[in-house]
Amino acid sequence: MNIVELDQLRYRWQGQSKDILHIPELNIAQGEHVFLRGESGSGKTTLLNLLAGILTPSDGHIRLLEHDFHHASSMKRDRFRADHMGVIFQQFNLLPYLSATENVTLPCHFSARRRDKSGDTEQSAIQLLDHLQLDESLRNSMVTSLSVGQQQRVAVARALIGQPEIIIADEPTSALDTGTRDRFIELLFSKAEAQKSTIIFVSHDPHIAEHFPRVIELSEINKAL
Amino acid sequence: MILLKLTWRSLWNRRISVILTLISIAISVSLLLGVEYIRKEAKSSFLSTISGTDLVVGARSGPVQLLLYSVFRIGNATNNIGWDTYQTIADNKRVDWTITLSLGDSHLGYRVLGTNQDYFKHYRYADKRLLAFEHGKPFGSVYEAVLGSEVAKTLGYTLDRKITLSHGAGATSFSEHKNKPFTVVGILKPTGTPIDRTVHVTLEGIEAIHIDWQAGAPVAGFEISAEKAAKMNLQPEVITAFLVGLKSRSATFRLQREINDYRQEPLLAVVPGVALSELWQSIGQFEVVLRIITIFVLVAGLLGMLTTLLSTLNERRREMAILRAVGAYPWQIFLLFLLEAFLIAVLGCLLGCLMVFIGVLLAQPWVTAEYGLHLRTWLPGWDDAKLIVLITIAAVIFSTLPALIAYRRTLQDGLTVKI
Ligand SMILES: Nc1ncnc2c1ncn2[C@@H]1O[C@H](COP(=O)(O)OP(=O)(O)O)[C@@H](O)[C@H]1O
Ligand SMILES: [Mg+2]
Repeated sequence: MNIVELDQLRYRWQGQSKDILHIPELNIAQGEHVFLRGESGSGKTTLLNLLAGILTPSDGHIRLLEHDFHHASSMKRDRFRADHMGVIFQQFNLLPYLSATENVTLPCHFSARRRDKSGDTEQSAIQLLDHLQLDESLRNSMVTSLSVGQQQRVAVARALIGQPEIIIADEPTSALDTGTRDRFIELLFSKAEAQKSTIIFVSHDPHIAEHFPRVIELSEINKAL
Repeated sequence: MILLKLTWRSLWNRRISVILTLISIAISVSLLLGVEYIRKEAKSSFLSTISGTDLVVGARSGPVQLLLYSVFRIGNATNNIGWDTYQTIADNKRVDWTITLSLGDSHLGYRVLGTNQDYFKHYRYADKRLLAFEHGKPFGSVYEAVLGSEVAKTLGYTLDRKITLSHGAGATSFSEHKNKPFTVVGILKPTGTPIDRTVHVTLEGIEAIHIDWQAGAPVAGFEISAEKAAKMNLQPEVITAFLVGLKSRSATFRLQREINDYRQEPLLAVVPGVALSELWQSIGQFEVVLRIITIFVLVAGLLGMLTTLLSTLNERRREMAILRAVGAYPWQIFLLFLLEAFLIAVLGCLLGCLMVFIGVLLAQPWVTAEYGLHLRTWLPGWDDAKLIVLITIAAVIFSTLPALIAYRRTLQDGLTVKI
C-alpha cells in the first residue's frame, strides 16, 4: 500500500511567477524510510507543508493513506495531520513551559485517535523516552535545560506517540554534531520500525543518505525550473 | 482542557511581564471600583448630613437655599421668622420637638449658630446618630459656647477658652462683639457634617450680644455690660429657621402643607431628605466627570494588556507553529489568546477587588478619626459584578487583535518554525 502518492503536484507561492514545485509522480510505500535531499531553498519545507496539509497544491493531487485531499476542508486536513502524522523540526521543537513528558504527550490532547492508540498516555511517553535513551532524571525537568540532542530525542518521542502512520522530519539533525546525529537516526529508525511508521526525512546534508534504504534527490523529481 | 493548561503554563512562563500587566489591570479596576465606592459613600454621607428631622422651616425662599443656610451654613437667609410664628408651630400637637436656629454671626470665619438645648438631645445625622462630646458638655448659660471638632482643631481651642463673636459671616468683620466674650464649655466629636465647622451658642447669647445694637451696628453711648444684659429679657423676637421632629412621621406632609399655607407669615417647610436629593442632583455633575476619568484609566489598562499581548506575538511564533504541528486547529490558537486575555482580566479584576477591599479596610479608622465619616466595608455588589463582567468582555474583545494576527500567522508559517 502506498502511504503517499503525488500526481502532477504543482505548487507556486503567491506573488511568484513560476512554480517552486512540479512533481509529476512520487510514491512512498508504507514503512519506507525515505531521505529527500535538496539544496536549501529548493522547496523541501514547502513540500512537507503540502504533505502535512498546511498548504494546498496549486494543481495536481496528493493522496495520503489512500485518501484524496483534493477537496478536503482545511479542518479535515488538520484533523488528518493530528491523527496520522508526527512532525519533527530542525530545532526548537518543544514548548519551553512544559516538561519533557508533557511535551511528548501533547499530540494525544489534540487527537483522540492517537490518545486511544497510546493507551496510558503518560506511560507510553515514558516508555518512548526510555527507548530513546533520555535519562530518567530529565523526564520531568523543564525542556529548556536539555541539550539540543536531548531535545531532538524528546521531539522524536512526541512524533512517535500514538503510532502515527507518517513521520515528517524537516532537517532534524542539522543542529547536531556527527556522533549525536548518527545515534539520533538509529534511534528514530528502530522505534519507527517497531510501530511500522513511514519516515519522510528531508535535509540538505548528503552524509545522512547512507542510513537510508531509499534516497530521493528533489532536483531529480522536481520538474519546476 | 489542554488549552487552559497550555495558557496557564505559558502565562507562568512569562510571569514577570504577565504580573506587570495584571497589576496595571488591577490598578485600573481598583480605581474604577474605588471611585464608584467613593461616589456612593459621598452621596450617602451627603444625604445623611441631617437625619431624624422631619421638617426644616424658614422664611419663604427656595428649598435648596433654605437647606444651604440652615444645614450647610452656606449663604444667608433673606428673611427671619417671627418668634410668635415659631411658637405657634412648636405648640402644634403633632410636633414632638423643635430646634431653633439663629444665624448671622461668625467667629474667625466659622459660622455661629444660636440654638437651644434640644439641639444636643434631638439633632441627628448619618444613621440617626446623636451629637457626642469629645470634651466638656452642652452650654448651660448665656455666654457659653460649644465648638465643632474642626473649629477646635484648626484654631487650637480647648475648654475654658474665651472667644468673641463678630457680626456677619466674613472672617474679618469690622464689628466685633468684644465686650461680651463666650467661654468654650464643650467640643464635639467629628461628625463629617457642617456641624464640625460651627460654633454653637445659646439663642439667648445671640440676643444678648445684639441687645445694645440696632440695624446691624452698636448704638453709641448705649453700651450694656455683659452681666447686665444676661439679666434682661433675652427672648428673641426673630429666629432664622427651625427644625421640627414629629411624633409620627406620617403627619409630615400634612404639617408641611399647613406651614406652607400659614397666613400670618410667608413660610417654607421642606422635608430634608427630599431637598438633599434635589441638591445632590444639582451638584452631581462631578459624578459624570469621575466616571469619564475612570473609563479612560481603564482603557489605558486594557491598552497596556494589548501591548503586552502584541509584544509577545513574535516570541510566541514558534510556540504556535509547534502547536499546529501537533494537531491544534487555527481556531484553537485563536482561542489560546482569548483565554489568556480572559485569565489576565479575571485575575486582574480579582486583584483589583482585593486592593479596594484592603484599601477601604485600612482607610476606615483614619477617615472615622479625621472626618467622623463611617465608611462601610467594601463588598462587591451587583454594580461591581457588572463592571467586572464588562471589563472582562472588553479585555477579550481587545485580545482578538493579537489572536487574529497569531491565527493568520499560523496559516502562513505552517510548519516553518520562525525564530
Ligand atoms: N511563506 C512563504 N511565502 C512566499 N514564499 C515562500 C514562503 N516560504 C518559502 N517560500 C519560497 O520557497 C522557497 C523554498 O523554501 P523552502 O521550502 O523553505 O526551502 P527549503 O526548505 O528547501 O530550504 C524559498 O526560497 C522562498 O522563495
Ligand atoms: Mg527548510
